Amino acid sequence: MTEPTPSAPSTPVAKPRLPFGLEISGEGLALRILLAVLLSILCAAALIAAAGHDPISAFAALIAGAVGTPHQIGVGLNRTTPYLLAGAGVALCFRAGVINIGAEGQIAVGGIGGAAAALAWPAALSPLAIVAALVGGALAGALWSAIATAIYLGRHVHEVLVTLLLNFVALLLVQQVLAGPLGQTGAGFLQSPLLPRESWLPRIPGLDAHPGFIIAAVVAAALSLILWRTPFGFALRVAGSSRKAAAYAGFSLSGITWGVMLLAGALAGLAGAIEVMGVHHRLIEGFSLGFGFKAVTVALLGALEPLAVIPAALFVGLLEAGSLSMQRQIGVPSALVAVIEGLTMLFVLAATVRRT
Amino acid sequence: MTSLLEMRGIVRCFGPLRANDGIDLTVEAGHILGLLGENGSGKSTLMKVLFGMLPPDAGTIAFRGRPLAGHHPREAMEAGIAMIHQHFMLVEAMTVTENVMLGWPDAGRILKRGEVAERVRETSRRFGLDLDPHVPIAGLSLGRRQRVEILKAILRKADLLILDEPTSNLAPPEVADLLSILRRLKSEGKGIVFISHKLPEVLEVCDDVVVLRAGRVTGRAPVAGASRAQLAEMMVGRDITAPHALTPREPGPSRVVARELSAAGLSPLSFEIRGGEILGVAGVDGNGQLELVDAIAGLNRARGGTLVLDGNDITHASVAARVAAGMAYMPADRGHRALVRDMTVAENLMLRDSRREPYARGWLLDAAGRTRSARRLMADYDIRAAGPGAITARLSGGNQQKVVIARELDRSPAVLVAHQAAWGLDPGATRFVLDRVIGLRDAGAAVLYVSSELEEVLAISDRIAVMSGGAFVAIVRRADADLRQIGLWMAGRAA
Repeated sequence: MTEPTPSAPSTPVAKPRLPFGLEISGEGLALRILLAVLLSILCAAALIAAAGHDPISAFAALIAGAVGTPHQIGVGLNRTTPYLLAGAGVALCFRAGVINIGAEGQIAVGGIGGAAAALAWPAALSPLAIVAALVGGALAGALWSAIATAIYLGRHVHEVLVTLLLNFVALLLVQQVLAGPLGQTGAGFLQSPLLPRESWLPRIPGLDAHPGFIIAAVVAAALSLILWRTPFGFALRVAGSSRKAAAYAGFSLSGITWGVMLLAGALAGLAGAIEVMGVHHRLIEGFSLGFGFKAVTVALLGALEPLAVIPAALFVGLLEAGSLSMQRQIGVPSALVAVIEGLTMLFVLAATVRRT
Repeated sequence: MTSLLEMRGIVRCFGPLRANDGIDLTVEAGHILGLLGENGSGKSTLMKVLFGMLPPDAGTIAFRGRPLAGHHPREAMEAGIAMIHQHFMLVEAMTVTENVMLGWPDAGRILKRGEVAERVRETSRRFGLDLDPHVPIAGLSLGRRQRVEILKAILRKADLLILDEPTSNLAPPEVADLLSILRRLKSEGKGIVFISHKLPEVLEVCDDVVVLRAGRVTGRAPVAGASRAQLAEMMVGRDITAPHALTPREPGPSRVVARELSAAGLSPLSFEIRGGEILGVAGVDGNGQLELVDAIAGLNRARGGTLVLDGNDITHASVAARVAAGMAYMPADRGHRALVRDMTVAENLMLRDSRREPYARGWLLDAAGRTRSARRLMADYDIRAAGPGAITARLSGGNQQKVVIARELDRSPAVLVAHQAAWGLDPGATRFVLDRVIGLRDAGAAVLYVSSELEEVLAISDRIAVMSGGAFVAIVRRADADLRQIGLWMAGRAA
């Protein structure tokens, strides 16, 4: 027994499995992500210059547009909220080895649930209207996720396929309810009637933001606690790392899958409800278009660590909020921000993901 | 005259494991060489080295007198070496002819389908392969598919054919056909390496036999005149080290009782293990050992019969319930099952106890308790690692197994199920593992010790069960164990 023992890092690094035999490699992760983000910004600068604009002033306008005034910060925080809520849930699923691409649909259905609960809530109980609508959204999202989970576990259909396809069903469902029971008659496009004022999320004084971001940040912190400090979190990390080891350890793989999927579904649903109750005050067709897919991006950008998903979501949310003012002031099309997001994603994946 | 193939002093290591430890192998043209050995004895590694799939750490390969060094499978093929894998590399939707043409320069730039089909028919007739050139692979039996692979090798003018466990998926009549095809190939001057652990086939078809064990050649003999018993003895090994002194001990009452227990891959099994007793299970790997240990540990669902632990029926109990009832299990698959490689030593030490003290308190994990417990276990079981936070994958194989032992034994289990517990470990670590298992026996636990290393089983067991074809062929007391007889039992039903 004289084999040399190699030194090892003292902090636990977990390497959750991704699809296609990929994993996130552990060491120096934060630094690599930062470099990747920096690189994508440099590339964006080159693109702006190539389009005949001054990158420095474009970025100045972008930043000013994102955080220049309390109003702008508020817009950015509102934008960040759904990414953070859904992204943290997606991160948890990925950690458990469940590749849940269904946030898009779960957010949409959450919006339906929130709007329906707000519209149906009896006026006599109006002080509880907000809670009722939030719960309605979360339940609807969880239900949508439960359908995917039941098909995945019951029929062994690949989870990527089930969750992805149910997204399209969910988006059509939004249209359907707006054309039917929840629709506002006489409106030019598909939308619900305005929700009762009692169910609107309040504004944070002086910031022009609803408190969704605070809820989302608290949720992300709670998920981090679950992931690292609870037996359930341990079990899901083991399952994400090795299904065989999880079975050997006596963990129920289907129990873990139900747990993370219902949690992520509820959080995405909550995000949908918050969007409806805090931004639009009604359900509108396409109100959440792309949110759920971007949540997957944000989860990966945060290296599937719920706490790190907070800055990742802020990055994307504030960037998008600032893009409009960049377009207004410098004439750089706001679509460029989508390019930056795409580049960031590519670089971050290149910097963090490797073959197992 | 130079031999067809000469491998000299082949060494290949995987980390601390010397999978090939100075192997010499010679194959003559027109000869069939049987390569015998258990799983993990180094046969596959040696053949991968020969075929250019793995570079050797030392040693030379000469084929028809020309050195092969740093080569790739393609070059091995071009030189005239063909490998028939256990799992065939055929496109099911294509016909025999089309599969033959795949990647074959002789098929022409513009495919000469008719010409190739004619050659397929002619070659098939000459070697008795009985293949229709126009039948899709999907419609062929496994035996026929194997012949397509052989056909491909012949048409590519291979002089040396390596067949890796060629009979493992074949029905008996197909085996007979294969052996006669091999004789035909031999008569045409081809050299053949026949990898197997089935003695009768080796006796029937091979000219010489080489036995590998633990990466070394342990026997080399012409088959002519050798008896099945001699071969069995060679495979099992003569150089049995002095068994550990098991203190004779009157076993206690039965702690584990299996009655007609059956599960996937297992014939109904009945056995008892008493407290303070080690029941060793010997057998050629793949004869139901994994199914047996998994059935006891709760990972292979029982289909019938009963399993009782200390009077409690656990036939249908969950894995977690069995752990709570005092079941310890050391699986053979250390890297993916017994341990989570990319987690820390401390986390692996709590893998099967994470909901209990000292690892959890109420709703939360207790990080301090985990570290404290890890430090204690690392000291008690001599686990050499940088600390409780060390990543398990970076530990040596011996230290990884100590993590498993520490976790499973610290629970003071009623029963330990150990599968290939010393596999791939150096002698020191092996000794440590065996001593701890014996220590548990002396403390009154029931132990099921499963290994394909017969020496190990003999060294540690109070009684020995021989497993073959998913069933116990015999259970004998160690005092009554006859090595030759056990070797025959091991080969018995697998043959």
